[in-house]
Amino acid sequence: MRNHSVGTLEHKEAILGWKLIAPTVIIISLLILYPAIYNIYLSFFRVSLNPAVPNQFMGWKNYVGILKDPTFWKSFGITVTFTSITVIGSLLLGLGVAIMMNRKFYGRGIIRALILLPYVTPLISSVFAWKYIFLPLNGPLVQFLSSLHLMNSGTDIINNPNNAFVVVSFFNIWRNFPFVYLMILAKLQSIPSSLYEAAEMDGANWWKKFMSVTLPELYFVIASVALLRGIWNFYKFNEVYLLSKFAGTLPIYIYNTAFAGIPHQGVAASAATILFVVMIGLITLYVKKVLKW
Amino acid sequence: MKKSLLVITILTLVISGLFAQSITFWTTETESNRMQRIQALATIFQAKTGISVSVVPVQENNMFSRLAASKAAETLPDIMEDGIEPLVLLGTEGLMDTKLNAKIINDFGDIYTGVKKLLYAGNGGYYGIPFHAWVQGIWYHKNWFDKDDLATPTSWYNILEAAKKLNDPSKEIYGIVLPKQADDYAEQVFTEIALANGARPFDAQGNVTLDTPEMIQSFAFYKELGKYSMPGFTTVLDALKGYLSGKAGMIFYSTYIMDDLAIRDVQESRIHNFDPQLVKNTGFANKMINVDTSSYGQVVGLGILNSSKNKTAAEKFAKFLMTGDNYIYWLHMAPGGMNPTRKSIATNPKFLDNPVLKRYGSQKIATIIAALNNIERFDFYKGKVVTQMSKLSANFVIGKAINLMFANNWTPTRTAEWAQKEAKRILGK
Repeated sequence: MRNHSVGTLEHKEAILGWKLIAPTVIIISLLILYPAIYNIYLSFFRVSLNPAVPNQFMGWKNYVGILKDPTFWKSFGITVTFTSITVIGSLLLGLGVAIMMNRKFYGRGIIRALILLPYVTPLISSVFAWKYIFLPLNGPLVQFLSSLHLMNSGTDIINNPNNAFVVVSFFNIWRNFPFVYLMILAKLQSIPSSLYEAAEMDGANWWKKFMSVTLPELYFVIASVALLRGIWNFYKFNEVYLLSKFAGTLPIYIYNTAFAGIPHQGVAASAATILFVVMIGLITLYVKKVLKW
Repeated sequence: MKKSLLVITILTLVISGLFAQSITFWTTETESNRMQRIQALATIFQAKTGISVSVVPVQENNMFSRLAASKAAETLPDIMEDGIEPLVLLGTEGLMDTKLNAKIINDFGDIYTGVKKLLYAGNGGYYGIPFHAWVQGIWYHKNWFDKDDLATPTSWYNILEAAKKLNDPSKEIYGIVLPKQADDYAEQVFTEIALANGARPFDAQGNVTLDTPEMIQSFAFYKELGKYSMPGFTTVLDALKGYLSGKAGMIFYSTYIMDDLAIRDVQESRIHNFDPQLVKNTGFANKMINVDTSSYGQVVGLGILNSSKNKTAAEKFAKFLMTGDNYIYWLHMAPGGMNPTRKSIATNPKFLDNPVLKRYGSQKIATIIAALNNIERFDFYKGKVVTQMSKLSANFVIGKAINLMFANNWTPTRTAEWAQKEAKRILGK
């Protein structure tokens, strides 16, 4: 009898729980699931722009076309390299800066705020600022470096197509390291000082303390930030496209194939679905192995 | 009493709702001061005809994705204003009412042949109605040319001679500012040069011809001219600023430069300086000659869509926009940049009554508008619209080829071969 009443209470609570999350579930379904499913649906069609012409069913043709295109695979390789370099680069820089900013010194508050600037400045203005300081002849950085005879004032670093990949990667690391720094610094501040004191008593030097206390404490923060940055950079379009037409990453490949001229929504949808499947696979593996969920 | 009043009110609302017409107009003039003018025209139109127009600003780059979304939502516009490439592309997909557009062109009767041919859809139809246009050419410091006894920069020979003579990097003065980045500007300038040499990216059968001898000569001329250009992979803003600040003898630019040259505020916003003599001392070469004569420009058109449920209202609105004071009011949004495509408006004293246009005088304006009749483009050849070109333009094939040629010091032959290969790859040939 008693068990039964507990059961009812649990049952009631479960129902209440569902009621409470129902609005969220419905909104998420509408905003995320519906477009995602509609996208998969479109990927099997040649989508017509003309309302008088119906969409034409293509089967797997859109997928085959993309998977057979050597440019797709080349862009895939570039994107994987770009993502790895920028994630590792921003992690190392963010970690280094966070450790420095965790120490007490005069003016730390202001410096901590200033470091966030690359991340919070609107993208378009930082792209233009970069282009400006590297401007041949008149760019401040170019003038400075040429006055030291380190470079010719007529050199155009940013707009040289051969530098596209380096420029785009460098810019991405610079722009995103503050995000990594912020996350790591927050965790650093919560590491109890007793752990360091204990390590000191055991005779640990700076490096040993870092390896045995700091890094294990930061493990999950770093791993989560790496996952987030990895996903974001894999799909990065705007800043890459604004800086160079030659970077050739996957989102740019999709844009050029599907949206240059008459839009081929079906092709774009199938490319997006392929990326979605690849990313889901990678993320599941990462979450299991690295984040150990 | 109350009841009958309510009934009358409801009836009036229903009837006026049934008969009130409304249309949707998409425009690519998204700047707020331009939108204000368009909105004002829409209000006047409604007052005169009772047809309400909802004006929707659409960024040119977003046009196709917006159209795709609107098609799915069944909210396509009745009439739109856009460059000729998108209008032609949409036309080939069957979105444009080519017959109605043709009827409007014929009703006007005075639209320049040179601009309307660019929108010709075959069978007497048109993908759109030419609305306004700009012309590109070389703008040059006439006083510098006079001093050095240089000839007008219309032929390849004269252009190169002038660039050589005026170039003096030790004084930070350059013969020309040539586009060297992978963008539209590089393609626009190269188009004029290539067309003057009789080179085209496609032959009449639609085969890619980017590596023909004429094309290689055009790349060679471009590269040679690059020697006397400002260093760096310069682009359109470098050209404009370089010219206004007296660092460059010549630049390629559209007629949109006219207010930068003439109006103090506009010029100061670019270079923090104003030269009141600049208009007087500037010349405009509106064509280029080598083995052929060419003139490059862009036409913006109005197009009525097949899907419109209110074509009569859309037709009325198109005619309203391109008639008399309304048309002039629209064109004065960007004096010099927006030129009339109707002969009667080009010679209308009211059109010339504008602070920018006045400074140039009717003679010079007439020269500029005359070039409209000779506009040539890569996407139009032998009476046919070449739709494949838009795919190459959107992928910046020509701009990239130029960018790579200068960055890697490629020979013109190698550049042309690269462009040929890239174009074939993109077109899946």
